[in-house]
Amino acid sequence: MISESLALGQRAITKWLRNPFAVVAALLQAIFWLVLFGNSFNPANALSPSPLGGGSLGIFQQTFGGAVNYITFLTPGVIGIVSLTTMSFMGVDVVLDRISGYVDTLSTYPIPRSSIYFGAVLQNIAKAMATAAITFVLALVVPNGLRLAGSFGFVDLLGVLLVFALLSAVFSGLFTGIAISVKSVDSFFAAVNFLTFPIMFTSTALFPISFFPSWMKPFAQASPVSLASNAARLLIVNGSLSSSQAASFAGEIAGLALYGVLFALLGILLARRALRPR
Amino acid sequence: MNTQSAKAVQVESLTKVYPPSTRAVDGVTFSVDEGEIFGLLGPNGAGKTTIMRILATLASITKGRAMVAGHDVSKEPAAVRSIIGVVPQEVTLDNELKGTENLLLSAKLHHVPKDVALERARELLRLVELESAGEMRVSTYSGGMKRRLQLTTALIHKPKIVFLDEPTVGLDIQTRTRIWDYLQQLNRDGLTIFMTTHYLEEADLLSRRVAIVDHGRIIVSGSPAELKESLHGDILTIEFADGGSDFTSFLERMDGVSQVTRVGDSYRLKLPKLETALPSIISSITAKGLKIRETSFTKPTMDQVFLEVTGRSMRDAEEPRSNGHTPSAPVAKDVTSA
Repeated sequence: MISESLALGQRAITKWLRNPFAVVAALLQAIFWLVLFGNSFNPANALSPSPLGGGSLGIFQQTFGGAVNYITFLTPGVIGIVSLTTMSFMGVDVVLDRISGYVDTLSTYPIPRSSIYFGAVLQNIAKAMATAAITFVLALVVPNGLRLAGSFGFVDLLGVLLVFALLSAVFSGLFTGIAISVKSVDSFFAAVNFLTFPIMFTSTALFPISFFPSWMKPFAQASPVSLASNAARLLIVNGSLSSSQAASFAGEIAGLALYGVLFALLGILLARRALRPR
Repeated sequence: MNTQSAKAVQVESLTKVYPPSTRAVDGVTFSVDEGEIFGLLGPNGAGKTTIMRILATLASITKGRAMVAGHDVSKEPAAVRSIIGVVPQEVTLDNELKGTENLLLSAKLHHVPKDVALERARELLRLVELESAGEMRVSTYSGGMKRRLQLTTALIHKPKIVFLDEPTVGLDIQTRTRIWDYLQQLNRDGLTIFMTTHYLEEADLLSRRVAIVDHGRIIVSGSPAELKESLHGDILTIEFADGGSDFTSFLERMDGVSQVTRVGDSYRLKLPKLETALPSIISSITAKGLKIRETSFTKPTMDQVFLEVTGRSMRDAEEPRSNGHTPSAPVAKDVTSA
């Protein structure tokens, strides 16, 4: 099943790379979030003429998990959001494969049906990772952008990659499952619209948990986007983690993995239902 | 030859009902021999594609049984998938990939080793005359090129039997003829071909045996020659110089004439054996002193076969229907000689 999934995943990635528009769109989206949103909604702007004078950075850092500026805080959240929207766009390819009969043709091949699902999941993870990498680099080069902790090293970079691989697996499992079971692009976008906004806004992608009213807090804390943003922030802001930080990092990773497994199971169920002979 | 084991396809009382009550396939029984080209002929909506989808493990069975190379399609779909190639009606290639890439992806998913696949890809692209287009993206292909490439993706793993759903629909006559050539060549090399078509000439030219399907039922089956022979004869049309009198009963009394229809001044004679009947007809007419102004004769066509067994011509049958099932459909008959 693995080799078939990889072959199908590779097909989709080749396709993606040959259509520069999709790559450019992901890139632009990252720029909009980082530069436009990152500067206009920058809470530090409101704090800077603070009567507290030089203490404003301290207050900012206290509120924003130790980040030295807003874009440093925002970057993991933007990677999560871009991964979410990339995934929802990529799901359209799966819907179109179904409509065009491509999935039917694959279903006459001697491959496990689940490899059709996992092929799509894998390629979406790969695409999300590519956009995550682009976003990360962009955040480093924009003015007043991402500042990594002094002790941030290669292992921490791997940690950040792991976080976003898991997050994209969560989204990919969910959206591929939906994409494979709907029969039109319209219904897919209806589902996507219904899901992406609550996922995005009920999370700590853009603002810290202290900004949320109490009724939203439990949802925001449990959101996979929050788990990923918080975990990545720990590494970006602190570099080497203390044991208590490492424990909360591990908890967040475990939470993401749990979401990943749950959504993969849901996705397989949807895919099996959609792909069985009828 | 053991006929039991030599069946590439065996279908028994196959019924497919789409909820709530559309009988797409209604108690169909037929078999396809190994190594033959079998054509399922019928108008659009007759149930051909549904039968093919069932055999290709894409659709479930409501009642009855379908076997492909001895494997039950509903119980052993994996075994069936490993020995079939399927060419759907619509092109399902990846437009962003090159021709060869599409072909090699199919090879990979059929577990063909890379070196074998490369060799085979070259052969197949040569067969369908796409060698020079292999490195081009499919999005640049014409409709005919895509269809030819699609055919190769279903052959890269050397299937035992290939299912073609309307292989030449919508193609110009040149491309169609070329595809027919490829199919005949592949069949000569031992490939069993099962195809659906609503082109009478396609069924006639390619198939060793044909089953005519209408309203989900097989109305008649046999070789194209047998089916046409079953019409009992060629049609000879005679127009006399003396148009005044009625010669119907005179013509009806002749040996070798099974039916006479007068159409204006001309008479249509149905002749079971044109070759032997023609000389005596001409001499009888000459003996009576009648002068013939014009004669013509037509060999029976698949269209006439269709007309005879369904009561309507293929073109009328293409008209949209209100539901999938007509209870008054004629009972199936088999004219297979053996």
